[in-house]
Amino acid sequence: MLHLRPVPIRARGLLLILFAVSLVAYSCAADTPTPEERAQSLDRLLMCPVCPAETIDQSQADLAVQMRSLVREKLQSGESEEEILDFFVDRYGKSVLSQPPSTGFNLVVWVVPPIALVGGLALVWLAARQLGQKRQPHSQKETPEGRPDLEPYLKQIDEEFLAFERARNGPERGGEPGLQGGKG
Amino acid sequence: MSELGTLSLLFALVLAVYSGVGSALGARKGLLELTTSARYATYLIPLPLGIAVLALVGAFVSRDFQIEYVAKNSSLAMAKGYAWVAFYAGNEGSILFLTVVLSIVAAIAIALAPRLSRASLAYTTAVLMSVLAFFLFILVLLANPFETSAVAPADGRGMNPLLTHPGMFIHPPMLMTGLITVTVPFAFAMGALLAGRTGDDWVDTGRTWALISWGILGTGLLLGGWWAYTILGWGGFWAWDPVENAGLMPWLVLTAFIHSIMVQKRRGMFRVWNIALINVAFTSALLGMFINRGGPTPSVHSFAQSILGWVFLAFMAVTALFSFGLMVHRMPALKNSQSLESKLSRETAFLVNNVLFLAMAFVIIWGQLFPILSDMVTGVSITVGEPFYNRVNGPLLLAVIFLMGIGPMVPWRHASLAQLRKALLLPIIVALGLDVTLLALGVTKVFPLMAFGLCAMVGTGILREWTRGTRARHRKGESYPLAFGKLVAANRPRYGGYVVHLAVVMMALAIIGTYFFDTQRDVVLQPGEQVTVGGYQITYIDAQQIQHPDHLQSVATIVVERDGKSLGTYSPWQDFYPSFSLRPARAAIRSTPIEDLYIIPNDFFQDGSVGFRILINPLVMWMWIAGPVLVLGTVIALWPQRKRALIREAIPQVLRPTYAPAVE
Repeated sequence: MLHLRPVPIRARGLLLILFAVSLVAYSCAADTPTPEERAQSLDRLLMCPVCPAETIDQSQADLAVQMRSLVREKLQSGESEEEILDFFVDRYGKSVLSQPPSTGFNLVVWVVPPIALVGGLALVWLAARQLGQKRQPHSQKETPEGRPDLEPYLKQIDEEFLAFERARNGPERGGEPGLQGGKG
Repeated sequence: MSELGTLSLLFALVLAVYSGVGSALGARKGLLELTTSARYATYLIPLPLGIAVLALVGAFVSRDFQIEYVAKNSSLAMAKGYAWVAFYAGNEGSILFLTVVLSIVAAIAIALAPRLSRASLAYTTAVLMSVLAFFLFILVLLANPFETSAVAPADGRGMNPLLTHPGMFIHPPMLMTGLITVTVPFAFAMGALLAGRTGDDWVDTGRTWALISWGILGTGLLLGGWWAYTILGWGGFWAWDPVENAGLMPWLVLTAFIHSIMVQKRRGMFRVWNIALINVAFTSALLGMFINRGGPTPSVHSFAQSILGWVFLAFMAVTALFSFGLMVHRMPALKNSQSLESKLSRETAFLVNNVLFLAMAFVIIWGQLFPILSDMVTGVSITVGEPFYNRVNGPLLLAVIFLMGIGPMVPWRHASLAQLRKALLLPIIVALGLDVTLLALGVTKVFPLMAFGLCAMVGTGILREWTRGTRARHRKGESYPLAFGKLVAANRPRYGGYVVHLAVVMMALAIIGTYFFDTQRDVVLQPGEQVTVGGYQITYIDAQQIQHPDHLQSVATIVVERDGKSLGTYSPWQDFYPSFSLRPARAAIRSTPIEDLYIIPNDFFQDGSVGFRILINPLVMWMWIAGPVLVLGTVIALWPQRKRALIREAIPQVLRPTYAPAVE
């Protein structure tokens, strides 16, 4: 369908982006929900006041059934979503809403997660910069006091240690099971 | 029975304390005999605890209502087969279960510990035994399941009827096993730090056990969803309730850990970070265990109501202080052995992955705690429910899928944009192709289009890797199946990971399908009446009532047709348990890979009519298919890879001069 061959690489990327944008734009211009869909999405925003942690959409308690039909009545008489939610908040308090309202102090609940995410990504960026900087003298820092002249002696000690450990533990296990060759 | 049980618990406690103190002391003073003897003690502990379990299950089977726990969680009407479920239906029993599992996995982990972590093994043992001793203390002092009452009641209160489902035999044990197993990788990390072995010795063992725990926990969560879908009868599989969240949070942190530990395994980097991650995973698992204990409806609010709650909180605080304190103490020695070469590299992709998964875990704890915070500040109580989690974690899930499509294509060390463009061109074209097709079919919602497109991108990327690798091997003369098998076997963490990624794509499909495209209708039908929903003709025939000893069962008979063809007769039912005033329903479910028809009988009226809720849940079957795929991928990623290049890798590791005196 798309003849990509003759198009130069940079134009290809541009083409793809344009294509994606137009897809999104096209899909935005769509979809009015049916009255029942509107009612159901309202049901999911209202908690059943007498049941533990259930919305009126999920609950089969009498009160939830009544509230569901009230939602439909009010929608039919032309009330807006906000008006209906406000009506129930007046009656049962703020906890009737299944998500906190985004006003006043409760704004905090919505704002903190994005801030945390951005903060986390910023930290990664900083960490990546810091990790990238200390590059050159690294192999030398590996030795305890940063003294490369000690290296041969330390090496000898470690080799003897290794030989000693092998002699003692070696026979009981074939190979070194802990080391899985993470290759490739 | 009860004396035997209590005595076994005491015996196990003595052994655990001896082993913990002995290991720590022996390691500190270099007493080889003491550490060895302490290690053997750990192998012994499962024995008395096994006896305690048998004693409790036996008490349930023999209806020993003198024991309070048995009286509270079973009754004469309960089928004897459910003794095993009743065993962990309450606080005391589930803590006993956690303790037994911990003693067993601890013994296995210590016995199988590879040679390189032997030097720190005594400290690892000490950490494991401290946690075990804590649980045993609680069992003996605060939550003894063998507590007896002076007078035995004639009958017990009975088990919660929601628990009488075959899924209950395996879902809670899996969840609890997954949560408690996090102790093992945590203990190996702490053991290494305590012994001063700040290198990468603990990494392989830690990764293996973290993966085991992650796989078990993930399976437990999926089984929980399946249980909710098939028995709770409300049509969904996930409700973000405290119990589910308590299991999901540590799973998300573990997901971050099993990714970032690969960077340490491969490149010797992120040493501090990985320790921090496993600490957080363990702390959140402790929190999860506490919220999960006992029954299906505890919540954060009930958390602090008992002494047990405060003791648990105190233990969590102490562990967190200890583990992070130790990490900070060893920080100077936890240097990266290599540096990050480029910001566009697999290493950074893993870091971004970590941020996303930690963010999702944070959203969960934040949503749980915010009502308490808001109540304190404003004095008005509010609810943080499903819409909050969906709206905040939904976009994060989308970001995870996006990263899943790109991350595996980014090479280690450094990548160039040209490389990336080459790797991603085909997946992106397929993704856009799918979106165009979906648009043509009338799918116009933005979020699902993005999500489906990204899923296609991930799937294409993985398949492309597989075909490329297989073809390359095939050119060297291997047959296609052999080439594919060898490709997977050559790098199990990578290809196991791909399989798990496919499972995640399947889960994402199910989530998007049910969240955005479900149809729901509530109808009341007279006998013989028919209704059409989403192309299905549903006819209600009649209803029957069956009286059981402890509940009343109302069964509706319905016939389902589509395009004139019969799809069968179904008998969904609703139970009524007067002693619990619970009405669990069992829906009629017709599953296909495209969509599920889900019919719940909600109201049985006097005149014979029945109120049904009819749901069409698209793609939900992929959620259950994802389960075995996830397990398969985990097993592939776990499968030990021995033969090759072991010495070549071993020597530089041992030679890294962070060598503390060996303990044994």
